[in-house]
Amino acid sequence: MKRRAFLRGTGALGATGALALLGGCKQPSTEPQSPITYQPGKPVPWINWAGNQSCQPQHRPAPASIDELVSVLKNAKGTVRAVGAGHSFSAVVPTDDTLIATDLLSGVIDHDPATNTAQVLSGTRLHDLGYMLADIGQALPNMPDMAYLALGGAIVNCAHATGVNFGSMGSYVTSLRLATVGGELLECSPSSNPDIFKAVLTSAGALGIVTDFTLQNQADFDLTEVNKIEPLEDMLDDIENRKASNRHFELFALPHASVGISVTTNPAQPGDKAQGQDDPQAVNTLRDVFNAISWIPGVGSSLYDKLLTAVMGNEAETIRTGKAHEVFPHVRVVRFREMEYTVPAELGPACLREIMATIRNKNLPLSFPIEYRYVKADDIWLSMFQGQDGATISIHQYGDLDYRPIFAEIEPIFWRYGGRPHWGKLHTLKASDLAALYPKHWRDFLAVRQGLDPEKRLMNAHLKELFGA
Amino acid sequence: MRLLIFVLLSALSTIGQAAPTERQLTLLTVNCLQCHANIHTGAPIMGDPKTWQPILAKGKQQIMTHVVEGLRGMPPLGYCSACSEDDLVTLSELLAGEALQETPR
Repeated sequence: MKRRAFLRGTGALGATGALALLGGCKQPSTEPQSPITYQPGKPVPWINWAGNQSCQPQHRPAPASIDELVSVLKNAKGTVRAVGAGHSFSAVVPTDDTLIATDLLSGVIDHDPATNTAQVLSGTRLHDLGYMLADIGQALPNMPDMAYLALGGAIVNCAHATGVNFGSMGSYVTSLRLATVGGELLECSPSSNPDIFKAVLTSAGALGIVTDFTLQNQADFDLTEVNKIEPLEDMLDDIENRKASNRHFELFALPHASVGISVTTNPAQPGDKAQGQDDPQAVNTLRDVFNAISWIPGVGSSLYDKLLTAVMGNEAETIRTGKAHEVFPHVRVVRFREMEYTVPAELGPACLREIMATIRNKNLPLSFPIEYRYVKADDIWLSMFQGQDGATISIHQYGDLDYRPIFAEIEPIFWRYGGRPHWGKLHTLKASDLAALYPKHWRDFLAVRQGLDPEKRLMNAHLKELFGA
Repeated sequence: MRLLIFVLLSALSTIGQAAPTERQLTLLTVNCLQCHANIHTGAPIMGDPKTWQPILAKGKQQIMTHVVEGLRGMPPLGYCSACSEDDLVTLSELLAGEALQETPR
């Protein structure tokens, strides 16, 4: 029997009503996928991808040029926020006053073949950007594992990928232009408005709206990605070797299981061939199996572990090979909510092990894979990687389940390891907590923010909590 | 992008719909086509009318509820934060290849 068919068959057992029995993992409460109801004929609400943030803006301009954006921002009414793809889990977007959409600000403005740089509008979606850059012989050196994000939102919220020699997306920006609430369009780079440049690259949109970025790219290239099921402890024991000897390495830890998934990505070699296929629904299969077994008193988790190990342990590698912009991203169609913290790279394995032990020992009802990656240090003021190489650990819960109880159990573990939360993902830290995590530049950032937006026009409720404004 | 928009505009004459604006076609390519032109996502594919028939049978209000609020892999608003209700109706009809009907079938 094929692995997927067997797992699906096992998952079908979960619908027999056994979930209510005592013992085993308690099932988390469910919540509606949409936080707000559509009413025909009335202005459509704004809802983020994950369905956990929404608002009902009175004004929703979508400028089609930089000049129009500058004018719209200057004249915006009330609290004004910008939105790209709406992929942030945290409340960086909602405003009931003016929401500026950047959908129409898409494309490459200019490029330089000699330096492999390209000036790109901030509303450009990453899934388009890869092809746009390929058309001019360029490629992003690194990309997140999904390409739904808009470039602007990705950079100012400190999106990243994996690879010890690669920084966050903002670390590849050589210059940018920032539209301010005062109606200016500021050129920012290491030599022009350098403080604003270092501040805005991770700013959660608190300083203005970036209209375009000049990116340091590289010549178009090919990659091969190998996915393999392996014992988690084997991967962690060998982590220093793996992260150093591969262009990109990450792993997925499976809660309540001793196996995980390694993802190793390197420059493609002649003869590399694709094998197997990505299965965007795999996390749902995993959920069904977990639900079918985890309820069994006393043995549910161990049985789940044995089943996954037996069925997945000998699974052949899945290999994807091709253009970098087609290999980096994966299809993500199962909605989830996410919390991610970055801990100092050398503490990553210990932090992950403690999280896995906590899930197991407390029998937490979590089956969504946990993603573990490495990112190189940078000097962007509020980057999670400012001044230190980071290991990032991402906790996900299915979009129709209440994420709060699980995240509340795990978040304090991150705090013990000096973790810094991702700006676009869920966490509970406030300004005083964050100030302690960014001792070098927190005050510098607040001073830049005060100078650019003294009337706090860009500060929604969430940003006021973050920055204490 | 320009070429794609030209092709789409040309194709519209064959399916008998009012032409969307160039702005709406940009919104289509930036947002909708990342899934509705990708066979690996499981989303109904633009230009494949058979896959749209069960969806069209739900009627306009149910379809718009799913478009705005999202449903399974379909993200709220189809990722389009710039879209008005009229935009979303037009883009849905463009993807499905026919007008949304008020009454479910």
